[in-house]
Amino acid sequence: MGRAIVITSGKGGVGKTTTTANLGAALAQLGKSVVLVDADIGLRNLDVVMGLENRIVYHCVDVVNNKCTLQKALIKDRRLENLWLLPASQTDDKDAVTAEDMKNLVFELKQLHDFVIIDCPAGIEQGFKNAIAGADEAIVVATPEVSSIRDADRVVGLLAAAEIPAQLVVNRISANLVKKGDMLSQNDVIEILALDLLGAIPMDDQVIATTNKGVPAVLEGKSVAAKMYIQIAMKLCGMEVPAKEAGSLWSRLGRALGLTAEPA
Amino acid sequence: MDSAALTAEPLLAEAPPAALLRGTARGLEVIVDGTAALAEITGAIEKRLDEAPGFFKGSDVRLRVDNGPLPAGCLACLDELAVRYDLRIVEVTAHKPEKSDKKAKSPAHLADADAVPEPNLAAGSAPSPAFEDEAPTNSNAKIIPLPAGDLAEPVLLADADLTVVEDVPAEAGESFEDPTNTAAPLQLAATPEIPLRNEPGTRVVIGPVRSGVILEHFGHLIIFGDINPGAEVRASGNIVVLGRLRGTAHAGIGQDVGFILALRLEPQQLRIGRRVARAADSDTPASEPELAYSTGDSIIVERYQGKLPRNLATSI
Repeated sequence: MGRAIVITSGKGGVGKTTTTANLGAALAQLGKSVVLVDADIGLRNLDVVMGLENRIVYHCVDVVNNKCTLQKALIKDRRLENLWLLPASQTDDKDAVTAEDMKNLVFELKQLHDFVIIDCPAGIEQGFKNAIAGADEAIVVATPEVSSIRDADRVVGLLAAAEIPAQLVVNRISANLVKKGDMLSQNDVIEILALDLLGAIPMDDQVIATTNKGVPAVLEGKSVAAKMYIQIAMKLCGMEVPAKEAGSLWSRLGRALGLTAEPA
Repeated sequence: MDSAALTAEPLLAEAPPAALLRGTARGLEVIVDGTAALAEITGAIEKRLDEAPGFFKGSDVRLRVDNGPLPAGCLACLDELAVRYDLRIVEVTAHKPEKSDKKAKSPAHLADADAVPEPNLAAGSAPSPAFEDEAPTNSNAKIIPLPAGDLAEPVLLADADLTVVEDVPAEAGESFEDPTNTAAPLQLAATPEIPLRNEPGTRVVIGPVRSGVILEHFGHLIIFGDINPGAEVRASGNIVVLGRLRGTAHAGIGQDVGFILALRLEPQQLRIGRRVARAADSDTPASEPELAYSTGDSIIVERYQGKLPRNLATSI
């Protein structure tokens, strides 16, 4: 039985979809079987970021309405063997599925995959409720801005009420701005939200570039953000993350990959 | 505990009522206007006691006399009343009239005079059935959502707050650090009618209290952890925050006195009883524990020096 993790934030535009795509790709690279679920019905993006938009035939609303089997709706990634996407519908809205539907859907996916990563829509309405319905744990994405933190705080409260344990990813940190005192540091964010930090992703132009190409930054390799995503994925798998030593990161990572190449 | 609050009659128009009854943490406080006639005083008290017969039974009574000596024979009559209603008069104090005169001239007092009566918590202390249904059955997790429509009052208040505070000259609200710098003496038109759960005593909550959460308690409230922006804590007693207070806190609901103590006081808004204050826009938060308390029409914030001012100690 796999783990269902919802990626959420409250506020829009903080990098939920990018995080979903990159974590999914990183986990798949680590040899895990991963399915990404786009819960943003009506405003789907995950397929675009993954570069899979022109392969969509069926989507999750079709599955819920028994128009196709779950297996038929899953799209296999073109680069990674064990990465799948369950796309959202673009023509329906959030009320097209119920929380109960999503719960069943996620439960079914968990039987066959190690990780089910759910990309939550912005907001705290029905879409949010649907997205968290089947989740075992949550990753809250926040950027170091007061508005993002305020929304994340609200979402953390709602997750706690739903008894879903949450961890934090701070996105788009700029070391320069923090140093100048113009940006909240990751510690400020952790202090306010009182969550465990899973990772802090630096501001990285590479992410924007690769995202627009429909390739998760993790698959392009060299950027700082990609390294962080891989570290987060390793943490999620309970693997030891090399502390600092940027030089040895890749050698260790290579070893880690080699070790987990065979299915665990 | 006797903190079940009984709020005063509204201060209607210019003429103060002959007698006011008010619930405090220590019992019942009776404020008598010395210039009124004997029959008026006893009549007013009797009327009020009859409204909730049995509620005050066995309470301690502190008698405060405003505007000079009592009419002859009054104390004896009051004594008689006390016996009849099973009350104990434990203290009689005289109050200088000067303060109330001064109050009458200040614009804040005019607002006070127009005030809608505060909800009578004696009658309201039994939660309405509807509210009882909403309350979680697990009484340890008493994060109670505010019934819809309850926020109308604070919204109204926010407007008044902004305009008045903006007009306050620099010396009256620049910083929280100086005790003389008080925020503008704003008052709520009336204490919002919050059906607080009738569980007197002190409630301890482990934080953080997050955005969107409203935490209410009938009695004192102690919070270990932060109160984040967008959260609100409300208590009929006092509030102690062992963490950062960054949201809104409302202490002394339905009361006249109360305080809010926080290790870091960086609130969006502070409310004590019917008074409202917010931090000045330019305010830099102090890095030490601070105490906010009510005095007269305003809220004063000062460094917490390890003890409470004497008048506050009585509110516990």
